[in-house]
Amino acid sequence: MRSRGVALALLALALAGCPAEHPQSALHPASQEAGRIARLWWVMLGVYGAVTLATFALLAAALLRRRGAEAPGGGVRFVVVAGIVVPTVILVGMLFYSLRVSTALHLPEAAFTVRVTGFQWWWDVRYPDHDIVTANELYVPVGEVVRLELRAADVVHSFWVPNLHGKMDLLPEHPNQFWLRAEVPGVYRGQCAEFCGLQHALMAFDVVALPKDEFERWVAERRRPHPEPADDELRLGQEVFFSAGCNACHAVGGTDAVALVGPDLTHIGTRRTLGAGTVANTRGDLAGWISQPQVLKPGNLMPPTYLEPRELHALVRWLETLR
Amino acid sequence: MSVGTAAPPAQAGFERTWQGHPGLRGWLMEVNNQPLGKRFMVTAIIFFLLGGVLALLMRLQLAVSDNDLLGPQVFNQLFTMHGSTMMYLFAVPFLEGLALYLLPLQLGSRDVAFPRLTAFSYWTYLFGGVLFYASFLVGVVPDAGWFAYTPLSGPRYAGLGVDFWLLGLSLVEVAGITAGVEILVTILKLRAPGMTLGRMPLFVWTMLVTGGMIIFAFTVLLTATILLELDRAAGMAFFDPERGGNSLLWQHLFWFFGHPEVYIAFLPATGIVSAVVAAFARRPVVAHVLVVVAIVMTGFLSFGLWVHHMFATGLPELAMHFFGAASLMIAVASGIQVFAWIATLWGARPDYRTPFLYLLGFFLIFVVGGMTGVMVAVVPFDLQVHDTYFVVAHFHYVLIGGVVFPVFAGLAFWLPKVTGRLLDERAGAASFWLSFVGFNLTFFPMHIMGFLGMPRRVYTYPATLGLDAHNLVATAGAFMIALGTAVFIGAFLHSLRRGRPAGEDPWQADTLEWSVSSPPPIFAFRRPPVARGRHPLWERGRPAAAVEAEHQRVTAALDAAPTTWRATLSTDPLTGAPQGVQWLPGPAMSPFLVALGLLIAAIGVVANLYILDLAGVVLAVGALARWLQPDEALLERLRQDPAPRAAGLPVFTTGAASTGWWGALCLVVILGTMFGALLYAYFYLSLFSDAWPQGGLERPGWGLAGPATGALLLAGAGLWGSRRAFHGGRRAAFVGLLGGSAAGAAAAAVLVLVELVRLPFGPGVNAYASAHFTLSGLAILALAMGTAVAAATTHRLERRLERRDAFDTLQLQVTTMLHGFALVAALATLVVLHTSPVLL
Repeated sequence: MRSRGVALALLALALAGCPAEHPQSALHPASQEAGRIARLWWVMLGVYGAVTLATFALLAAALLRRRGAEAPGGGVRFVVVAGIVVPTVILVGMLFYSLRVSTALHLPEAAFTVRVTGFQWWWDVRYPDHDIVTANELYVPVGEVVRLELRAADVVHSFWVPNLHGKMDLLPEHPNQFWLRAEVPGVYRGQCAEFCGLQHALMAFDVVALPKDEFERWVAERRRPHPEPADDELRLGQEVFFSAGCNACHAVGGTDAVALVGPDLTHIGTRRTLGAGTVANTRGDLAGWISQPQVLKPGNLMPPTYLEPRELHALVRWLETLR
Repeated sequence: MSVGTAAPPAQAGFERTWQGHPGLRGWLMEVNNQPLGKRFMVTAIIFFLLGGVLALLMRLQLAVSDNDLLGPQVFNQLFTMHGSTMMYLFAVPFLEGLALYLLPLQLGSRDVAFPRLTAFSYWTYLFGGVLFYASFLVGVVPDAGWFAYTPLSGPRYAGLGVDFWLLGLSLVEVAGITAGVEILVTILKLRAPGMTLGRMPLFVWTMLVTGGMIIFAFTVLLTATILLELDRAAGMAFFDPERGGNSLLWQHLFWFFGHPEVYIAFLPATGIVSAVVAAFARRPVVAHVLVVVAIVMTGFLSFGLWVHHMFATGLPELAMHFFGAASLMIAVASGIQVFAWIATLWGARPDYRTPFLYLLGFFLIFVVGGMTGVMVAVVPFDLQVHDTYFVVAHFHYVLIGGVVFPVFAGLAFWLPKVTGRLLDERAGAASFWLSFVGFNLTFFPMHIMGFLGMPRRVYTYPATLGLDAHNLVATAGAFMIALGTAVFIGAFLHSLRRGRPAGEDPWQADTLEWSVSSPPPIFAFRRPPVARGRHPLWERGRPAAAVEAEHQRVTAALDAAPTTWRATLSTDPLTGAPQGVQWLPGPAMSPFLVALGLLIAAIGVVANLYILDLAGVVLAVGALARWLQPDEALLERLRQDPAPRAAGLPVFTTGAASTGWWGALCLVVILGTMFGALLYAYFYLSLFSDAWPQGGLERPGWGLAGPATGALLLAGAGLWGSRRAFHGGRRAAFVGLLGGSAAGAAAAAVLVLVELVRLPFGPGVNAYASAHFTLSGLAILALAMGTAVAAATTHRLERRLERRDAFDTLQLQVTTMLHGFALVAALATLVVLHTSPVLL
């Protein structure tokens, strides 16, 4: 069993290619789970592709035969064999194979749990065992099973990181269980796969798979309290965050901002993207997002914020220190 | 059999009887299946073209990454309307229209079983479709997808567009269900003498199964749409998780319809394929019986597959594998059909004319779609490709390959019959090649797009996914399909003026529609035909069996007769032996008025103008009453007419021999399915609730329900007794018992209503309350129907009791079915509502 697991992991590695080139691909697996499903696909493609070609060949033979010929074995027997016996044998064989793949895809024992909640249109991500709250990205240690507790805050969403696993819906009624087990370090893009309203297309996230020691370091850094604002501009930035009303919707750990309407900004400075994968988290786009969020992602809940250039710059700088 | 030029007086009377009224009024009053079938098909094709334009706009938006041509709001409206149009306004209505036009011709009947219902069905379909598209005029286009998942489609997250969607859809569903009844009863009752079940053409078999499927599947969807509209318009909580509702309940109800829906469109398409294959191979479809078994099997299995649309919702694994395995069984059923067609074509050397080209396109595309279908039924694989472009590719291969290509094959095949003109072959071939190549360019890359991370229903995608080239090819292909469709329509319009005359039978095909002129006379058959075998036109020279002499005598008596009223032969559902001369109604305004009333009521709900609802309901009920009111003068005329006597057949029949009995049975099944769906919702909600009743509500008591139950039981006894009194000719007892039964049902309805009014909570407090109120409300409506029917029957049969004949017996039978059903359904509802909170 173990040797097969290792072999699968190697296969996964071989198939993985370069994650940067295929950041959201079911055919470039970076985990046992995605590897098993990809292999299932290649097997099915081989088997059913052959069946398709054989059917086409029979059709061609039928059309090209001399006039008056009868189907091999006589009409009815031909239909019984080609239409019932052969398909049943193939389908039953494939059913057993797919059941084995299913059995291999049971939730394994997990190292820890992450709670992911889907909102219109972003992801709230909580590590209760590590006391970390973030949004629109998941950091996971390579080689370990991370159990996911998926839930929707409003409408149905679906969690999908094709390089790592299939998908699982987030429902408003009850949490669904899922898990990730990245085998290859890298950044994998995920996206909501259940239509969830206006900006369903812009509801992405990244899964960052780090080697175990780097993941430990990431945890430790996230748990370190933010330093006090070091200069006047940063102090102004923090002030603006509260005076402009950002705290009405966003939480920042270690401050009085605790609202849960929008994404938690405790680690916004390290975030790879803004607006759930809408734009890269650069200084310019962050400023643009704050002043004109409806231009970048029309329909999201965030209103435009009118700030003096000086205030905006200070706010952006302060946010960048939240790491 | 061709139409004579100088008709003798009797024939002239016969032809005059079958003519519709002229002018706009005549157009509104039309009930004949041929003009209405054509209207169905033309309307459906117009919606098909509209849906196609929406698709082209979507492909323009997706042609390149990070495109902002249309933006998210318009795109979401487009894909919602595209899917809804193609599924609800094109596929099923077109095939129903084809069936309504073609079935009487294939069966050897002069019209369908319920001509006025055909008209009602067409008007509700048209009104529903127009209401759908009226949302564009008001600027609130539906945007929650053709599947309208809750809570996204609920009152909290979706605007008025979804109300347009729900109300328009409700009308289209009513149209679909009534057309389904029409198809079912026509096939069972109006076949040519000698056409046993075993001799029915395969197209008819597919429509028989489809008609049955429509009745169940569409009724469940109708129930679900009503529940969602109750959530939206009346503040109920069926699908609201915050008030004990359940969003997955919608998914279960929707896919219980949604999966059969695919086969409701696909099965008739296989019927078209079988007809075209047989005609082009000039031999019967091989393994006819196996193909029939496959068709019936597909119909049953399609209801056991709905969960395979929900593999990613976190359902128990065992259940998912069960549904996955059932999905494989349906693949075998499709395999039987595919290889039967191949065996039929073996060495047949067909002509590669337009219908056959489209048929080959169907083969190549559908087989690929079938294979990907088997794949997505595999749970772990589906977890990866579900809701991605792989699935978009799969179902377009199945629905365009499996339905649209056969539809175009069928159009090219049957249009010469409808219009009397042949299509231009070069234009037909050009349209085929453009559509076929364009189709594969559009949809083949989508398989890969799904694997490379493109989810469904996204208005844009980042360049980093590397999907620009795939999408651009897909967009180019879509415009090629559009061009192919345009060429086909151009060829059709050209054929109307310049096409070569088709003659009776341009393909040397086997079924009865090819025995009449093209286009057929409005009455289809002057003299009802006799079916000698499965392929009447290929078996003309065969020696006649003894039973046929009798059939010939019957049909000769009905040659151009009766002359003053429309009639066709009604035959035994199994053996096709003549059972009666079936009266068929002529032009009538009431179907249009009932449909108009429903439209007005629907507009009232959308616009929150409840005065309109009242007006609409009054109009609909009034027109319906006029529709159903027996015309005593007409009945007397039918009793005196010599034609049925000459044929030796009754003009009135009872029980399973009459169309009315089958129609009433269908209505009971439809209402029973509605109750069933609602009870399913009730128990589903209770299963996922910690307490039942939810929210600490008091359990309903027996204070009023007890007397109501007693009233129902007494009403049942009265109904039973009234039948004995009727057959015994005891007038006072009959009136007392049936009238008393009506009164008992009314009393029970009032008691249930009073119980609802006195409840200390409203229907909106939680999902339990919503389910309780809605089930009670449905019971009250059923009892109102039962009371009205029983009272009207008491009133009429009181005067007829001494002279009672088969028509009166049939009226009592139908009353017993409808009123009896209402009593049973109300009783079951009371028992469930009052015992389950204690037992659960």
